[in-house]
Amino acid sequence: MTSSLLPTAAPPASGHSRRRGRPSRRFIRRAAPLAWIGPAIILIVIVVLLPVVVMIQSSLQKISPDGFVLGSAGINNFITLFGESALSGVLLRTVIWTVGVVAVTMVISLGLAQLFNARFPGRRVARWALIVPWASSVMMTALIFRWALDPNNGVVNVVLHDVGLLKAFNSNEADWLGRPVSALAWMMVVAVFVSLPFSTYALLSGLQSIPEEVYEAARIDGASYWKLYTGITLPMIRPAILVATLINVINVFNSFPIIWEMTRGGPGYSTSTSTTFMFTLKQSYIGESAALSVINFAMVIVIVLVYLRATHWKEQVD
Amino acid sequence: MKRRIWGAAAMAVAGALALAACSTGATPSASKPVTLKLVVADYGTGPSSTSSTYWQGIATAFHKKNPSISVKVTAINWNDFDTQVQTMVQNKQYPDITEGDYFSTYAQEGLLYSAKQVLSDPGNLLPAFKNQGTYQGTQYGLPFTTSSRTLFYNKKLFTQARISSAPTTWADVQSDAAKITGLGKIGFGLPLGAEEAQAESLLWMLGNGGNYQTSSGKYDIDSAANIQTFEFLTKLVNAGDTEPNPATKDRTPLWQQFAQGQIGMINASPALVPIIKTAGVLTDSDWTSVPIAGKNGALTKTLGVCDNVAAFKSNGHEAQIKKFLDFAYQDKYQIQFDKEYDLLPATSTAAKALESDAIFGPFLKALPNSVQYPSDTAWPQLKTKIQQTIGTTLTSDPKSVLGQLQQAANAG
Repeated sequence: MTSSLLPTAAPPASGHSRRRGRPSRRFIRRAAPLAWIGPAIILIVIVVLLPVVVMIQSSLQKISPDGFVLGSAGINNFITLFGESALSGVLLRTVIWTVGVVAVTMVISLGLAQLFNARFPGRRVARWALIVPWASSVMMTALIFRWALDPNNGVVNVVLHDVGLLKAFNSNEADWLGRPVSALAWMMVVAVFVSLPFSTYALLSGLQSIPEEVYEAARIDGASYWKLYTGITLPMIRPAILVATLINVINVFNSFPIIWEMTRGGPGYSTSTSTTFMFTLKQSYIGESAALSVINFAMVIVIVLVYLRATHWKEQVD
Repeated sequence: MKRRIWGAAAMAVAGALALAACSTGATPSASKPVTLKLVVADYGTGPSSTSSTYWQGIATAFHKKNPSISVKVTAINWNDFDTQVQTMVQNKQYPDITEGDYFSTYAQEGLLYSAKQVLSDPGNLLPAFKNQGTYQGTQYGLPFTTSSRTLFYNKKLFTQARISSAPTTWADVQSDAAKITGLGKIGFGLPLGAEEAQAESLLWMLGNGGNYQTSSGKYDIDSAANIQTFEFLTKLVNAGDTEPNPATKDRTPLWQQFAQGQIGMINASPALVPIIKTAGVLTDSDWTSVPIAGKNGALTKTLGVCDNVAAFKSNGHEAQIKKFLDFAYQDKYQIQFDKEYDLLPATSTAAKALESDAIFGPFLKALPNSVQYPSDTAWPQLKTKIQQTIGTTLTSDPKSVLGQLQQAANAG
């Protein structure tokens, strides 16, 4: 509409002066996309950037347990944090937790995606069923597992007892969540269980985008099944694998409800990851907890950057 | 067809909105209605006994008498109460009144009305618990309900294990627990998980003449007596005489297991009684409660715990809070609460009314000279640390765990 009005509204002038004479119009045209992305930018500033600023600010303040700022703390919060005897264990556990859960999830998801891509009777039902762990609340899933592992009458122990693998209820062997190592292992199982649907669907959509002709051509050339998989399937779903892995890393690293509902990070802090440890600290030591948040935040960013770098993300996704 | 249905639906929604707008607009503006936010801990064991029913009853009766004041009740389960209230306070979304754990730091920060400001007769609150809620000479925490701890044991299991008398010493506890473990049950229920590890620990410390503080109020967590106490507990646990991994076991589930007849002995408050009754497994003659066992003999002074009401200043509802608290502290509501949860009253008049009661009488008598938690401002922070870590004395060196807690106490 504007352009159709232009010839009549504007006096005839040379191209040069016309360009000089309408800087505001040019600005508006350039800024036009802002009207569309503006709301998103404002949202990002308010819900993402602002909290980051407040987080960094809090980590440098002395804050009473009831939330009152008592002045600057300098880097004292960080010094106390690094003085916590539990911290090194917590960090190591965070690495084991994240790497372990994501690696196992991705391997199983690759298999599941392949299965769900094949035609078989009942595929539709099976695909729907896979959504269930994703659709139900993580907290609920964690609670169900906690009850199933109860040393006195949990269903897992009842089954193990019935088949003769477990000698007595209420024994140390039956108390899966009471021993730090087995508790962590079980919680990782739960984390894999709830991460599977998303990863599988991400990979499945990748699989479905591979044109059948490529396989046909390779088959005519005499490629084996394994060759087809490693030579065509994997390279072609690589972008899907990258994205799924990345999102899983961030999710699992930040995972809170599973650990909180199953062990609360205990006994002591021996099943805490840096996310739950941060929450435990927050109850009384807000500044120190904010300091750990800053470190967590930095870690996520570093992990993501390193990962993207290592996988030549740009070439893959562009 | 479809479009018409949607159209009708949209009209209906619009109509409803308009009606709603009318009705809110038409509300008569009676002397500025105020809504008090009341946040309480849930003492119930399920939906049928939730504390929100008790408080809603008071709130409704109160609202009938004072139409301009409504009370919005939020009940939070004990496990999350501290965290959630602390989060509200940290985020400056203050409730008007809380009932449950109370922290002296709230008084220190100047967040609270004093007892005098929000209760007509603060002198009626049990004097034994006055110190707990007092900060710099002024009482801010108003005891609402109290309890004391005793040792409950399952008489049926004791008979089966051929134990003839109640345990009074640690040696008794150990040998009795071993015999009950022999029956395939849990000998002693030891809740050293995060829910209330500070209580269980103190009960055992008292048995060896220890405490968190010296009699002059200085923290002495890693005293020789306390270290010895946890060394004994480690021995008890390693012998298999308790549930496995006590550092991860909470009070509520263990009380429930006792009520199911799965546990021989457990330290508990009278609040265990309704749990036993609801479970319906043990009859009244199957269990009893006795003074808590100590190293060389039963305790003469037990742990007395009170849960407090705190009234927050920030919403400026002083007059309304006072009206409500005067109403809620009536004897009939005190007694109703105690009967519902088998806890003890916190006012002198209600205590007097229950003096001759068969169940409450003996507990009430023991209350005035009970031992209590520290009440200084370092305690709230320290308590969360104790809850999280003191159970690990059983699997690592008690001396270093208690030493770290002592360090935290010194720093706070």
